Order: sequence, then C-alpha cells, then structure tokens
Amino acid sequence: MSLLGTFSTLAVSLHNVFRPQTTVPLPWKGMRPRAERYRASFALVHDEHGDEACIGCQMCQKICPSDVITVVAAGRRESPNTGKSRGWEGGFTLDLNACIICELCIQVCPADAIIMVREQEQPGYDRNELLLTRDKLYANEHKPLSWHSGTILSDMQVPPKAKPAAKPAADKGEG
Amino acid sequence: MSLPVPPAFPKRNLDVVTTTLVGGLRAPAHLVGLPRPDPHMDLEDYDPDADLMALNWGPQHPSTHGVLRVKVWLDGEVCVKAVPYLGYLHRGVEKLCEKLGYAQITPIVDKNDYVSPMMNELAINMAFEKLLDIEPSPRASWLRTILAEIQRVASHLLWLGTWGLDIGGAVGGGATIFMYCMRERERILDLFEELTGCRFHYNTHCVGGNRHDPPVGWDQHAKEVLASIAERSREYDQFLTNNAVFRARTVGVGVVDPVLAMELGVSGPILRASGIDADLRRDAPYLAYDQVELRVPVRTGGDNFARYEVRMAELLESIRIATLLLDGLPEGPLSSQKVVKLPAGIKSTSGRSAYACIESPRGELGTYVIANSDRKLAGQPYRCKIRPPSLHAMALIPYLCPGLTMSDMVVTVGCLDPILGEVDR
Amino acid sequence: MSPPLPDHALLVHAMLMGNPWLQGLVVGGAVASAALSIAGFSIWFERKFAGRMQNRPGPTEVGPAGLLQLVADVLKMLQKDDVVPAKADRALFILAPPLTLLFAASALAVIPWGSGVAVADLHIGLLFALSMSSLVVVPVWMAGWASNNKYALLAGMRAAAQAISYEIPLLLSAMVPIVLAGSFRMGDIVAAQHGLRWFALWPPGPGFFAFLMFFMAALAESNRIPFDIPEAESELIAGVSTEYGGMKFGLFYLTEYLHSFIASAIGAALFLGGEDMGPLGHGMHWMMLKTLVLFVSIFWIRWSWMRFRADQLMALCWKVLVPGGLVLVMTSALWVQFL
Repeated sequence: MSLLGTFSTLAVSLHNVFRPQTTVPLPWKGMRPRAERYRASFALVHDEHGDEACIGCQMCQKICPSDVITVVAAGRRESPNTGKSRGWEGGFTLDLNACIICELCIQVCPADAIIMVREQEQPGYDRNELLLTRDKLYANEHKPLSWHSGTILSDMQVPPKAKPAAKPAADKGEG
Repeated sequence: MSLPVPPAFPKRNLDVVTTTLVGGLRAPAHLVGLPRPDPHMDLEDYDPDADLMALNWGPQHPSTHGVLRVKVWLDGEVCVKAVPYLGYLHRGVEKLCEKLGYAQITPIVDKNDYVSPMMNELAINMAFEKLLDIEPSPRASWLRTILAEIQRVASHLLWLGTWGLDIGGAVGGGATIFMYCMRERERILDLFEELTGCRFHYNTHCVGGNRHDPPVGWDQHAKEVLASIAERSREYDQFLTNNAVFRARTVGVGVVDPVLAMELGVSGPILRASGIDADLRRDAPYLAYDQVELRVPVRTGGDNFARYEVRMAELLESIRIATLLLDGLPEGPLSSQKVVKLPAGIKSTSGRSAYACIESPRGELGTYVIANSDRKLAGQPYRCKIRPPSLHAMALIPYLCPGLTMSDMVVTVGCLDPILGEVDR
Repeated sequence: MSPPLPDHALLVHAMLMGNPWLQGLVVGGAVASAALSIAGFSIWFERKFAGRMQNRPGPTEVGPAGLLQLVADVLKMLQKDDVVPAKADRALFILAPPLTLLFAASALAVIPWGSGVAVADLHIGLLFALSMSSLVVVPVWMAGWASNNKYALLAGMRAAAQAISYEIPLLLSAMVPIVLAGSFRMGDIVAAQHGLRWFALWPPGPGFFAFLMFFMAALAESNRIPFDIPEAESELIAGVSTEYGGMKFGLFYLTEYLHSFIASAIGAALFLGGEDMGPLGHGMHWMMLKTLVLFVSIFWIRWSWMRFRADQLMALCWKVLVPGGLVLVMTSALWVQFL
C-alpha cells in the first residue's frame, strides 16, 4: 500500500505535466465565448415598431428582492409609431452594484423590455459608473443579448398549447 | 420506466463489524461509547501547572472554511478546549425572508450554502410547495433530481480540493489536488451556465417547477462531462488514497461517535462514515429518487479517512444516478404553475406551516415555513426557518478537538465540511 | 587518483597567486552570485513546473514566458513598507533573515563543483557544510520568538525541534560516504567515486539507503514538503515569517530555495559522484545536471505530497531514520574493513 501508493501520486502529477493546459489566457487576449443564456448586465430594448418597449408598469421594481430598480412611470400617451395609446417610462435606474443577477425582473416583464446582456460591464473607478441609467441601458441594447426574455422564460415553464391549426407554437419553448 | 440494475457495490463495512442498536439504528460497536471530553471544562481544573496558550483560530485564517472562529487552548501542540464562535457571516437571511414574496425568496436563500445552491433552492421551494399544496410538474421533479445530483458532485469536488489545501498546504500538494478538482468543477459550472445563464446562484427553481428548460444537446453534454469526471476521479484516488503521508494524516484522526453525532443532530456523510446507514434520498424519497436504486456508502471508521471514502463514493454514485436520469426526462411543462408574477394570486393559507427536508451534500437541509394569516400579505410567508446541516457539524467541534494537535484540528474541521454561509445565514 | 586539473583552473590558481584570501573572495563571490542566481531562477522554474503539474501555464505576463517574474517579485518586495511589530524584539527581528541567508549560503564554500572549482576545499569540508546548515536553526528560532506572534512562536518551536532532530539522520547518512571514502574532504569523496563507482550504487545496500535518508533529512532541514510543518500555511499562515514583509520576507523566501539547492548539490557530490560520469567523461556540467535533477525532484515532491504532522515527523526521525542510520554506518564500516 504505502510505497507504491505514495509514488503513484508522483506519477499522477507528472502525467498532468504533459496534458494540455486547462486555463485560458487573460481577457485582453480574447475572452472565451459565453453561453447563450449568460447573465451579466442589462439592456432596455425597443420593440418591433421602434418604440421603447418599456411601458412603465413598475413590475420589475416590485419584484426585485434587492430593490435596485427604480422606474418612474410617465403616464399614457400615443405611440408615434403605431398610434396606439400605451404606457411609457420616464426614468429607469438599475444599480448594478447591488444587483444579485436573479433575473426576476426579466421574468416578470410583460413587454419583454428588459433583457440581460451577455457581456460584463467594464469595471470603473467610481460607483456611479455601475449605476445603469436609462441611457446606458438603452446603449446596451447593441451588445450581445442573452437568449431569454420574459416571454421566452414563461414559455419554457408552461409552453403555449399548440393550436390545432398548422402553427408550430410548441417550438418556441424548446431549443 | 425501469432503470437498469446497478452492478454490485463494494461490500459495506457494516456487514463485517460488530454492531449495536442505537436509537433503533445499527451502529458499529467499536465507535459507540467513546470517551467524551467535557466541552464546558473549567480550565483551572485541567492542570494548575500547565501553561496553556489561548489561540484564536480564525476568523481570518487560511483554512477556516469561511469566517469561523474557534478559540482553542493549547497545551504545547495539543488542544485542551475548543470553543467555536459563530455568526461572523450572519446576514439576516431569515429576517429578510419575512418581507419578501415567494418568488423573491429563492434568490436570497440561494446564497446560504454557497457551494451547492441548487440544494438551497430545492429545499425552500419544496417547503413552499408543501405549504401551498402545489405539486411540481413531473418534468420539473425529474430535472430537479438531475440538477441536485450534479450539484452534489460539484460540492464534493470543492470539498476535496479545499480539504487537500488544509492537509497539504496552499503551496504544495494541496494546491495540486485543489486545481484538479476545480478543473472538473468548472466543467460542471459550464453545464449550469448553459442551462440557466449563471454559473452560480441560479434562481432556477420556482414554486411549482423550474425556470430553465435544458437546451438541445444539454443532456448529451452533461453525460460527457459526468463521464469525464468519473474517469478523472480515478486520478484523485491514485493521488490520495494510498499515499502514505495522506493516510498518516487522516486515518484514526477525528473519530466521531455515532451516538454523539445523533445527539447533536449531525447527518449526512459524517454520520454515514460513523456507520449509521441513513440517507434521506433512500429513506424518505422525494422528487424522482424513488425511481432509482440508490446505493448509500457507509463506512465504519468514523475518522477523516472514512469521511473521505464516503464522499468519494457518493461522488461516483451521484454521477451514476445523474447519468441514468438524464435519459428519461419526461415531456411536459416545466412548471405546474404559471409564472408567479407578483406576490399575489396565492390561495389563502392562513395558519398553515410546512417542513421539507432534503439530503444536501452536508446532511439534512430542512426548511420550515409558516404562512401568513394576514390576507393582504398572502403572497409572503410569515417566517422561513432554515435548518442547516453544517450548524450541527459545528456542534461537534468542542467534542472532537480536545486531544488533537493543531494540525489535526485543521484537517478534522475541514473534513466536517462546514459552510459558514449556511451555518450563520 | 583524482582527475588532473584542467588548464583554466590552473590559470585561475596562478592568477590568484595561491593566496587563500583572494581565492576565497573571487571564487567565493563568483560561486555565491551563481548560486543566488540559480536559486532565484529556480523560483521561476518552480512556479512554471508547479503550474504545468496543475494544468496551467504558471507566470506568463512579465517578460517572455514570465522569465522576469523574479525581477517583478524583487521589485515588489523592495518597495514594500518595512514594518517591525510594536512589541517585537527589534534586534532579533531584524537580524534573523540575513543571518538565515548567511548560514545557509556559507555551506556553498565547500561544495566541489568539479574541474577543481571549489571556493575552499577544506579538509573538514563536509563537516563544515553540515555545521553551517545546522546553524540555520538559530535565526529561524529567533524569528519565531522575536515576532511577538503566537503563530510564529509555534512555528519557530516546531522548526527548531524538527531541524535539531533531523540533524542526526543527516549526519549519519553523510557518514556513509565519509566512511567509504575515508575522508571529510569533499574533493576526496568525489574522487573516490571516480569511474561510475557512485556511493548510491556501490556498495549495493548502505549507499542507496543512505542516499534516500540523506534526501529525506535534507528535505526536513530545508523545511520542504512533506516536512514543512514549520511553514504550514494552512495552519500557521506563514510560519516563522508571518510578521515579515518586504525584503525581509524575500530573504526568507530566497533562503528556502538556496538551502534546497545546496542540499541537492551536497547530495549529488556525496552520493551521485559529483562531476563524474564514467565513460561519458567528467566536468562541471555533470555536477550541475545531477544537482538539478535532485532539485527538480524536490519540487516534484513538494507539489504532489501532503505534509506530515509534527509528531509523525519526529517519530519518523527518531524511530526509523536514526536506528537505520546507525545500521548503515556500521554496515559501511564493515564493508570498508573486510572488502
């Protein structure tokens, strides 16, 4: 037991010397690609008509366990693009310093307005640089977005029933 | 569906040693009734001539597994009395849970046992489901079992790595085993990243089911990862189990009396290494555990080496179970509830309470929830009480440490696998 | 019987006019600088080797392949705040690191590097080397006491106990080549192994076990794993050097490597024939190669094994190595007498 077993330890470590290394170089030589669903930061997006998607319902503010989101509801008015009356937000702040990345705000959003971004925010010298204001959140829209939105997450949990007509809605929940 | 019969497991040591009955369970006779030091011993009674050195081990220390402080009185190198001080990581989780809704509590409680977050989420959501009379969907139950087993593998890998650091040194052999374990654990975390988006603290369980459905190809990837970990675990075996230095450090050190352990509420690998055959997954099956034939490793050594063997065997067993279960994920919705959008819409639960417990890598992790009687606050529980297994393991410290040298204490406390996050909450 | 001195050695000897002071200064300076550079370089090498054993590259940032890591470390240590704890014993605290380096490096003087190069090939060379390395205990013990820190005190006590105990197997195993060669002089011991008659291989038996014992005792003397209980940072944070920072810590750090290197060199000279490689010739490069083989083995063991507990370490020394050493010395004496 003892002698052979003791030297088998040395054999294992020597064997590992000749294995290809597992670590990757530091970020400025190329960050490894993150998974599709990776959660890092946040973005507010525009909907398919070109309007801001957020309707100011403040549900994300209510669901956040850490109270990092502040939404100012800006009342109802007509959309310049579709002409329909809908809600708007007049100020959106997300404090990334305190966010616990639980994704509840994404899950709860009825308009798929807030989505997670796959790229991490760069570190800053000041706490305020990580306080995501409305402008920063809309600017993040162009970064690689995470795969899921509120609707996608909901459909994953309880997929919409496939309609008897030839509409393959069940695909939306998988893959 | 029937799963294949497992091949023969190594003969349990319980069959070859003399056992006695302790509280209705069989326990090895050579461990029962070991002399117990008095944890409240007055130091004047010890030896008036001894020059005892009072040393604060922690809370800042390279190997206290969190912010644990143990005040030890040393007679030379040998510990005479040890008093653990807890609470350095207290974050008021249970107080916070008093004002949050059901959906919001999961990410908070996630951070208790920060090494195996799936377990925390599972425990709390099972308790909520019991409280609210909600049945999780079959697909979710199955997926939760798979995730729990994979998380168990990751947790035991981390335990092995950090324990190696305690024995062998952060600049030395311990660092090597640590790196190997982290290498494997990273692959599991990558799996979770593909599934949920987070490597850690996923918030993927919810009341009634799960949030994230496995993407296409995930189960194939998971099987590959698990198979490679099973392969690599042979290396760990070669690296540690028969090494003379390792054995000298762990065999016979920190022997736990099963009676003492049961009196203190210890469960999990510590109890199983002392010969008590108890495992919640098999004795009180929840989720999909009644569909698999679970083999529970039991050892009769009671020492650090026995706990190491038990955890390594559990690691391989979890890999086996997860691989088996990955094949049979039932179709259907991932949650039996529509997403709980706001803390409202829950039916009235006034006056009710529920307790749900699971087998976490450290033992029995339980959650006791009391529902709110106030109808306006129906979407929040009144109180969540979490029963962390590591807290009971901490209670062993004043009994185990007297008589051990300083080095042995480090190794033994590391082997009890405390996670201060769940001890202090 | 020893090989003839090559021309350059004779030239140097002539230049220095056989003046021992001059020779000591010049050659000693050269050897010391070389040894310190090698010890410094080995810090880089160890980190790379350890990294490769752990499937990671090791230092890569500073300089090509991280070669300037030592420079970066030294610069970092130099610019640190040099703190002496308030209640520490000031004189002992400040004296301890340089004394450790001094005693450890003194043993360099008698190592025969081959081709006639040795700073001072004393008649009692081996005795001098072993005595100097045993003196290293004193400043380590001083540092443990002077730090006014319980962890450092524990470490200092453990270090003293360990070092003093392992002196005996070190000496007993070093006695085997002394007995077999018949002299304390390192040059004579190396010469007696001329022609591949290394003491580790011939006579079969005592030499090999004495080599293993010497290796273990050397590991214990330099506080390397598996005998590094004085520095056990999982228990004692940094052992004796807990309260030291900056260049003082740098000196402790360097001494550790230097001491291991010297122990490997002495081991190579005593048991592996030094500069001799039989039919492949002889020369300084063979000595260096053997030293490096032993040195790398020390790293290999360090990054693979766990550490012994203090009492297990002592039990190993007194119950296994000391009686074994006595038996080995007697066997080699009998060998010399009758064979």
